[in-house]
Formats: sequence, structure tokens, C-alpha cells
Amino acid sequence: MSETATPSQTKTGNRSSLAQELLVPVLAVVTGLIIGAIVIVASGANVFDAYGALFTGSFGSPIRLIEGLQVYFSTGETKELLRAIYPFTESLVTATPYIFAGLSVALGFRAGLFNIGAEGQFFIGALCSAFVGYSVKGLPMIIHLPLAILAGALGGALWGMIPGYLKAKFGAHEVVNTIMMNWIAFRLSDWLLNGPMKASGFRPVTPNVLPTAELPRFFDDPLRFNLGFFLALLVAYLVYWFLFKTTTGFEIRSVGANPDAAKYAGMSIVKNLVLVMALAGGLAGMAGSAQVLGVDHWVGQGFSAGYGFDAIALALLGKSHPFGVVLSALLFGFLRSGATNMQSRAGIPIDIISIIQGLVIVFIAAPAIIRWFYRIRSIKTEETVLTRGWGK
Amino acid sequence: MKKLYFVIAALIVASLVLTACGGGGAASSDAIKVGQVTDLGGIDDKSFNATAYAGAEKAVADFGVEAKYLESTQQSDYNKNIQQFIDEDTDLIVTVGFLLGVDTAVAAKANPETYFAIVDYSYPDCFGTDFVEGQTCGSATELPNVLGLTFATDQAGFLAGYAAAASTQTGKVATFGGINIPPVTIFMIGFEAGVKYYNEQNDANVEVLGWSTAASDGSFTGNFDSLDDGRSFAESFVQEGADIIMPVAGPVGLGSAAYCQETGSCKIIGVDTDWTVSSPEYTDVILTSVMKNMNIAVYDTIKSVVDGNFAGGVYLGTLANGGVGISAVAGASAELNAEIEAAAAALSDGSLTVNGVLGQ
Amino acid sequence: MTNVLELRGITKRFPGVIANENVDVTLREGKILALLGENGAGKTTLMNILYGLYKPDEGHIAVRGKQVEIHGPNDAIAQGIGMVHQHFMLVPVMTVTENVMLGIEPTKNGIILDKEKVAQRIREISDQYGLEVDPHAYIKDLPVGIQQRVEIIKVLYRQADILILDEPTAVLTPQEVEGLFKIIDTLIKSGKSIIFITHKLKEVLAVADDITVLRLGKVVGSIDPKEATSQKLASMMVGRDVSLVVEKGKAKPGEPVLVVDGLAVRDERQNLTVRGVSFEVRKGEVLGVAGVQGNGQTELVYALTGLLPIEGGTIRLLNEPIRHTSPREILERGVAHIPEDRQRHGLILTFPIHDNMMLCTYYKNPFARGITLQEKPIFNNAEELVKQFDVRTPNIYVNAGTLSGGNQQKVIVAREFSRPIELLIASQPTRGLDVGSIEYIHKQIIKKRDEGSGVLVVSSELDEILALSDRIAVMYKGQIMDIVDANKTSKEQLGLLMAGVHPTDAKNTK
Repeated sequence: MSETATPSQTKTGNRSSLAQELLVPVLAVVTGLIIGAIVIVASGANVFDAYGALFTGSFGSPIRLIEGLQVYFSTGETKELLRAIYPFTESLVTATPYIFAGLSVALGFRAGLFNIGAEGQFFIGALCSAFVGYSVKGLPMIIHLPLAILAGALGGALWGMIPGYLKAKFGAHEVVNTIMMNWIAFRLSDWLLNGPMKASGFRPVTPNVLPTAELPRFFDDPLRFNLGFFLALLVAYLVYWFLFKTTTGFEIRSVGANPDAAKYAGMSIVKNLVLVMALAGGLAGMAGSAQVLGVDHWVGQGFSAGYGFDAIALALLGKSHPFGVVLSALLFGFLRSGATNMQSRAGIPIDIISIIQGLVIVFIAAPAIIRWFYRIRSIKTEETVLTRGWGK
Repeated sequence: MKKLYFVIAALIVASLVLTACGGGGAASSDAIKVGQVTDLGGIDDKSFNATAYAGAEKAVADFGVEAKYLESTQQSDYNKNIQQFIDEDTDLIVTVGFLLGVDTAVAAKANPETYFAIVDYSYPDCFGTDFVEGQTCGSATELPNVLGLTFATDQAGFLAGYAAAASTQTGKVATFGGINIPPVTIFMIGFEAGVKYYNEQNDANVEVLGWSTAASDGSFTGNFDSLDDGRSFAESFVQEGADIIMPVAGPVGLGSAAYCQETGSCKIIGVDTDWTVSSPEYTDVILTSVMKNMNIAVYDTIKSVVDGNFAGGVYLGTLANGGVGISAVAGASAELNAEIEAAAAALSDGSLTVNGVLGQ
Repeated sequence: MTNVLELRGITKRFPGVIANENVDVTLREGKILALLGENGAGKTTLMNILYGLYKPDEGHIAVRGKQVEIHGPNDAIAQGIGMVHQHFMLVPVMTVTENVMLGIEPTKNGIILDKEKVAQRIREISDQYGLEVDPHAYIKDLPVGIQQRVEIIKVLYRQADILILDEPTAVLTPQEVEGLFKIIDTLIKSGKSIIFITHKLKEVLAVADDITVLRLGKVVGSIDPKEATSQKLASMMVGRDVSLVVEKGKAKPGEPVLVVDGLAVRDERQNLTVRGVSFEVRKGEVLGVAGVQGNGQTELVYALTGLLPIEGGTIRLLNEPIRHTSPREILERGVAHIPEDRQRHGLILTFPIHDNMMLCTYYKNPFARGITLQEKPIFNNAEELVKQFDVRTPNIYVNAGTLSGGNQQKVIVAREFSRPIELLIASQPTRGLDVGSIEYIHKQIIKKRDEGSGVLVVSSELDEILALSDRIAVMYKGQIMDIVDANKTSKEQLGLLMAGVHPTDAKNTK
């Protein structure tokens, strides 16, 4: 410990820490958007058109909203109004699996584990939920829906627990194991979709889940906004409560922050590793559940475009805090969802969003760039050790 | 910190400007608007989506229509992308692939004023009794605003099989698919029939590996993206003695082509498009290509919208209407070309059928 | 005689704190200046200014009478100033030569690295100053003492003639300290000048030509070592009279708390590092375990606290055996453990103080009810302990990592002493701490003894062992050489036992 590192920090304590915590992520996002704008200009397109379309694609057009409200109040006709709020609700729909999957990776980070397996857990969760959703018949929604979600959570939990167990028991590194489990999940789903879980007809997809297993939607077609979003918020709060207000959460954070000290304090490393991976898997599995029960209602090849991998970036951006994850998931949801409109109306390839996301992650991972760019005095904040490297 | 405030302020101003000029929507012109929703392969798949869009681009040049596409990266994008085009008051929405079958039907029913065309699919698609429209299938009835674009690729596959049987040195030819679904196996059925017809005509005994119509089963990679699978499937067929291979699995076939090029032990039959054009680097190992001329189908569909005589139903691309065909067979003798032309003519006038040859 | 280095009126402020205020320091040519001060007195800040890592707000630096501006380590090197950091800046998987040439790689023909030239120069330097370093050895294979010499070579290789040694003895065994002092002597004889930063009084008295004492960022005074005593220096450093001798009454040993018989333990690399150790600790007594670092003391303590499994032999705690017993069970039986490495085992540096204060009891009433943590009791507990154990911190919500070493140790002591205990195991309890903290922690340990707990103190500092113990066990190569009565032994006898000399022989030389 350097003798001089302390003064500035000890004085402020943790009172202004929220602003400090938010500063770098916010600037990272802003800088990502600015550089994205430069790329757009370099590609010969108009930035204002592009970001304007991104904005209306993710939040909706204010003009249309006003028009929709006028129509609604004068005639009671909701079609225009629904059309106006469609982009906003689609963003929330996109954010929903991001929240669950982000929580999964964040929980792993908190325990010092790198869960790259969220994508596989997502698939398994979706398949389990779909299976219960279409095969169990005759149940009322109040039982069927929770059962289908639970199936997804348990499937994901199993998929996460295996690498957790291998790590705890044999020291096999979870990064390798979760990647392996991803491939097993992908190939297993290929097989299931072409075989045991295939719907009648020739398409390699599962049957549709029964209406009793669908997450209720709040509006008519084509609006897909459903209960899953609020479920995600609730789960985010529960994860927060679990991590910061319970003894087990305390153990998990201790194991993540300093496993030696955790062992010294009498905590079981093995138990906590397995538990965290199972819970993380369960959360990623719920992401799959929410997607299949709320949005798609069936699972086919290409069910996910990498929610589980984006979740890694998202957990980093959210500083592995459940509330941070929710904010980042909303950001990703709005960017991803709005990108369709940007692609269509401004002709900007959807890949620009990936570039912006990538830049944001670089800036989060190397905050020094942001500090240097904005000349922020180096405030030595706590350095979160995300994972503990290889071996051990 | 001053610089920081400046940046934030600039951003707020920028966002206000963006909000103000957004929402106006695209400039509305009177031109016919065409939008294509791709499947997961994306617009650059050198097959399916690319060929279909080529038709749209030709229509842009010929009729001055506006055309654009949206790429789907995951299942839930299908619906969203279709909605995007509806929101932009697109006149004709072209969806590509059977996976969009349900979403297309639902959107078509909700928007009867919008025309749709779906590649490789057609309505009605609900059969039997145990179905729910809009969920397990798209529609139990024909939809007046949707044109299904389907292709008799078995006819073209037949010609490719004939050419393969005539060209093999080892007496064995092979085919494999991505997954065992009709749009894939129809190529393989035609291929097998073509080989069989060649054997009958020439008293030969060329064998087909990787597919049997009688068993309705064969070799499948289980995916449409692994080049490694294409390589290993080609390798095992060559080991079994085949020297001509027709991979019906999109880009997977490029892995097979690479294997053939490196070892010099086999030739490839391309599918969907002319591979000597789409993948010219493999020209030396390409025997011929079974072409599914989706570009022509899409072009004709756009033309019907422009001419104001769009009609729903099913379009079937055949050898007769140029909807399917094969590209020039590499190293073919004049004799062979004549035989192929004769077979094509017979298939076109119905005197020869795939099912007939296979005895079904 | 000239002054090679003068710091005049140096002031450095950090937000909310003045790290250095109007500091004057003078280094005479060919002399050793000891810069003495407690942790946080501003020594390191001052040296970082000299090394160009910080820019002073006021004041100037003069080298050989000429005022200079130092903007970074390269400027410092150019002025002939070299620094040996407390934490070595070496790449473990590289050789000595490669480490020395890092940053100034000489080349043949501008492309090929000329390692042999560097190795040759290292050999010359090594011979000249008696450093005995093999240029081709890998850093990871070298003991800490030799690694330090590599750091010194790095500085000499860059032709520094003013050397700054920052807490050079903190990581060394007594023997290595002796070796270092010899090297310092050789360096001085060949005309180098040295600033020696430390808080250890005896070392200062042993080597320094001049002493400057810092306290709270200011120079308290300079003093001639001939006139200085440990007591006087300690008072200057702390700002009040401190007692360097632990006052303690006679022990009143009771029942055995801990009985160890024939214990064998393997370390994490599966080496048998404890080979048949037997002893007992009674209520109301302090058993000191002396020995040079790395003779099995660490593993002994780990086995006693459940952090390492037992290979052979028995441990009985309050008449109950310990075997495959989890650390938690051992804690619950009334064992308090002040771990050797406070940052590795003792604290979670990224957690606030209040969480560290309940690290071992978080699951118990009143900190938890069911599975939920109870904030109020947690905060109250921390507030009380901070007050009671005089932890210097702005509040209980700051992270433990922001505290100075002494205060970190106080947090551990406070936590471990705050629950009812039968046995205290204290491993290197005052390593790296300043005089004030040492005094405090020693008093607390004796207090526990007098309350009737058994105490096992493991330390590589003989002074500490002698100050605290009632009986002393000396470990050498995983075995106990002898257990002696603290009142009837001497440093010399212990030193011989620590070096592995058989007890009967050790007695004879007394």
C-alpha cells in the first residue's frame, strides 16, 4: 500500500461515489456514440439522419405520439397510438432477455467467475420452457406459466452448475468449461429441433407453447411488450437483495473479492462456486424463458443472436451491479431495437451498433482512456477484480 | 471538468436536434417501395437472400422502384423487420425462407393492403386438424395478397444428376444436405432421378451416395454454416469412391469445394446460384450449378406490382418458365449437352417426370 | 564535504491532506542519511517527488549544488539518482540480465540484443560490491534478499551515485539484513551516497550517518546518531513517549488449550514443510514460535486454523481433536487468528470496514437474522470497535484497502478480539507496522493472555518474540529445535537454534 494513495478518498468516503461510479460508464457510452458518428460520417452517411432514425426507432417519434394521442382522444381509435409506442415497447422487449442474461454474468463476476456460458444456458432455458410450455396440457395459466419459467430456470441452472462443480471439484477453469457447455447446448438444440422436440411439419422448430404458458402481452399485435419485462425488473431487485442483504450474498461477494480471506473466515469456496454457477445459469435460463414465453412462443435455429455473449459486455458496463445491469440492458435494448429503423431509414448497417457496443466495452475495460480523454483527475476507485486468471 | 460540461451540453443540444428532425420519416415519393426481409443467412449469403435481392436490384434499374432490405439476426427479428417495412408503407414485402412462414401470413392478414411475396413457401400451409393459424402454421386458406415463390428444383437437380452420372470417372456420385427438409431434399430427389435416368438410357450403373428417395433419408450436416462439416463430408464421400458431390447446404458446400480444390479428387455441383459467378475462386472444381432463379421470380413479382396486376397464390419456377435451370456443364461434349437439352425438353413438356423415373 | 542532494522547502498537497510541508532534507556526499518516520509521515511522497513521480507544489531540488527539475524517473537517472522500491519491480520469468536491461536494451548493429555485454557488466558490478548475483538466474528462483540485490544492480547499472532505498529491510530475514548492511557499507566506501528510508529504529542507529525524522509531513528534526537512542527516536516519530518494552506480569499458566503432537503438514505445493512438531499452549501463557521465515511456521498455523489439511500427528483443541475440521468449526470453538498476510487472508480490501469487522461472524446473531443481514447491528459493531481499538479512519464505510497498514491490522485485531476466545493465534502480528501500532498491538495480546486465553505468537522478529513470550519454541526446517523459557534464554542462543544448531550445543556456547 502506498502511503499517499489514501487522502483524497478517505475524505470523501463513499458519499459521492455514485456519481463517480456513473461517470466513466456514461462517458464511455457518449464517447462510443461520438466515435460511431465519426464512422457514420466516414461511410458517407448523414449522422443526423442516422442517429435521428436510431432515436425514433428506439423511443418512437414524438410527433407520432402526439398525433396518436389526438386520434385516441377524439375518436377512441388506438391504432395510431399503438403504432407510436411500438418502437418504445420493442426496445423494452429487446432489453428483457438482456437484463436476465446480464444479471447472470454479473452474478458470476461478483463471485470471481467468468460465465461465458450464458448463451448456452439461454438456449437450454428456452428449450426447457418451450417443452413444458407445449407438452404439459390442461393446466391453468397460474400454474402452467410459473412452471414453464421454473423449467427454464432449472435447465439453465443445471447447465451452469456442471462447470461450477467441475471447477470446485477438479479445478477445471470455468471459462473453458462454460464454452464447452455452450457447444454442447448448441448441438443438443440442433438435434432436439430436428428430432424429439420438432413440431409436425417439416420446419425444424418446436411446437408453439400453449396460451396458458405465454407471458401475457399488454397490447394487441404486433406489440410484443409483455410481463417478462417486469419479471426481469423484479428478478434484478431480488438479485440485488440477495447479493447485498443476505448472508449467502455476503459469502459470494467475499469469495469473489478475496477467496483466501473467505476461506479464512470459514466460508466454503466449493459450495459457493457451485451455488453461484447454478444461480447464474438459472438467470440465463430465465432469459431464454422470457424470450420464448413472451416473444417468440417457439424455438427454432437462430433463436438467439448472442444475448449471452452481449451479456458479458453488459455486465462489465453495469459494473456487475444488478441496477447497473438493468441500466446497461436498457441501453443495449434501445440501441439494438432502434438499429432496425436506422438500418432501414438511413441505410446504416446494423453493425454500427456492434461497433458502438465494442467501443463502450473497450472504454469500460480501460477507463484510463476515458480519464485521459476528458482530463478527469485520476481518482483511485476500488478496482474490482473480475476474475482470478487461470488455474487455481 | 469544464470540457466535460461542454461535451454534455453539446450532446443535449444534439439530441434535441435529432429529435426534431427525426420522426419526419423518409421522404415519401410515388415510387413503388420494395422491402426484403432476409433470414438468418443475411444479405451476403451468396445464395438464397443474395439471389432474391438481385431480382429487386434489377427491378430498381428497370422500373425505378425503391428497394431495400433488412437482415434478421435472430428469430424475433422476422416479425420486427416485417413491421418496420409496414411502418414505412412498403408496397411489396419479400420474405425469404420457410422460417418466416408464420410471421409473413400473420402480417399479411393484418395488412391486406400490402403485398407480400415469400420465397420457398406458399399458402395454405395448415393441414390436418391439429393446428392453430398464426401459430403452428400461417394460414389455412390461400391469401390474396401473398405470392408464394416455389421452385421445381427437382427438375434442375435431375439435369445435374444426369450430367454428374455422365461425367463421373469412378462410377459413384454423392450428395448431402443441411437438414432433412423438403426445400433441401427436393434437390437430392431430382439428382437421384437424373442419375437413374442416365443409367437407364446408357445402360450404366452409376451409384448415388448420400441420398435415397425410397428411404427418404441420407447424409445431413445438421446445419447450414459449418465449412468444416462441408470439408469432412466431402472427404468421406471421396473415400467411399465418389468423385462428384452436390452439397445442398448453403455455404457448407464451399468447404467441400475447398477440399476438392486442395486434393484434386472431386468436382462440386453448386446449388441455388451459378457458383462460378458467386464463388469464382472454385471455378476449376465446379461441374455445374443447379440454379434456383429466385431473382427472376422476385423481378417478375415486382413487375406485376408495377403493372398493377399482382395476384396472390403460388408461383412455381420450372425449367419451362426459366425459374430453375443448370449452368453450363464444365467439359461437356456436344453429345452430352444435346442429351441434357433433350431431357430438359421432356421434363418441360411433361413426357418425363422425376417421380416417373423414380417409379413413384 | 559537499552536499550531493538538497531538498528545500518541499510542499506537496493532496486534496484534503498536506503530504509534505516545507520539508528540508540534505544528503552529504558518501554518507547515509536515514529518513525516519511512521507510516503516513510523508517519506514515500517525498521520495516520489525526488524521483519525478510527483510534482511538488512548492520548493526545489538541488543536485550537487545545481538546481534541477525532475519530471520523471528518466530525469532522476540522468541526475544519478536511483531508487530501490519497497515492492520490487522485477519480471519473475526473466533472468537477472533481462531485468537489468529492460528499458535500456543495448544492441549489436542496432537490432540484435547484446545480452552478453550486459551480463558481463552485471558480473563486474556484482564483484565490485560483493553482491554475488548470477546474471543468468531467473528472478522467480531467487530468494527475496537476492532479488533486492538485483534491484540495486539495476540502479548501479544505470550509473546512479545517489541511491534511495525505500524500506529495504521490511521483507528481509535477519541474516539478509546483515548482508544488506555489508553491501551498503561497500557502496559508501566506493563513493556512493544513500538515503535509507525506514521506520525501524535499530537499523537507523546501526547504519546512519545522519538522521532526519518526519512526522505528519513535516521535518521534526535532524539528529546525530551518536546522540540518539531508540527511545528518543521513537518519541520524535510518534510525538509522544512510547514504551518500547512490553510491560507484562508473570504468566499464570492454566489448563492446556492446544496440544499438538507429532504434527506433519504439506504446503500447497505438496512439500512436507512441517515434520513432526509437538508442543502445548496453556491458558494464560504466550508461546512464541521463533524461526527464520519459511521454516514451516506458516504451514503450522494454517494447519491449526484449518486452512491446510493435516498430514500426520494430532491436534487437540480444548481436548477435542482437529482433523478434517473446517476453518469455521475451529473459529467457533474459540480460536482467534491474526493471519500472517493481512491482505491475503485477514481482510477483504474492497469491502468497507464494517463488513470486515464481521467477516467471521456475519451469519450469527445479531449480524444476521435468518438469511438477512442486519445493517444496524453491523454498523454499531463497527463503530464501537473502531472507537475501542482506535482505528484511524474517517468513517466505517470506507474500504479497508484505504487504510494504512497499521490501521488495517487494528481492524483485524479488533475483529478477532471482539468475540469470546480460548486461543489466540497471532502470526507476524506487527510486520510492517510503525512503532505506535506495534506498541498497541503488543499490549492487546498481553491483555488477552492476562484474561486467560492461550496465545501462540509466530514471528520472525526476535525482539517481538522476546518481548511477548513466556516460552519460546524455535522452528528450523519444519521441526522444533527446542522450547525454552523466555526468561532464561538469550538472543544468541535463539539465533543459534534458528540456524539449526542442536540445543545442547546451543546451550554450551551460551
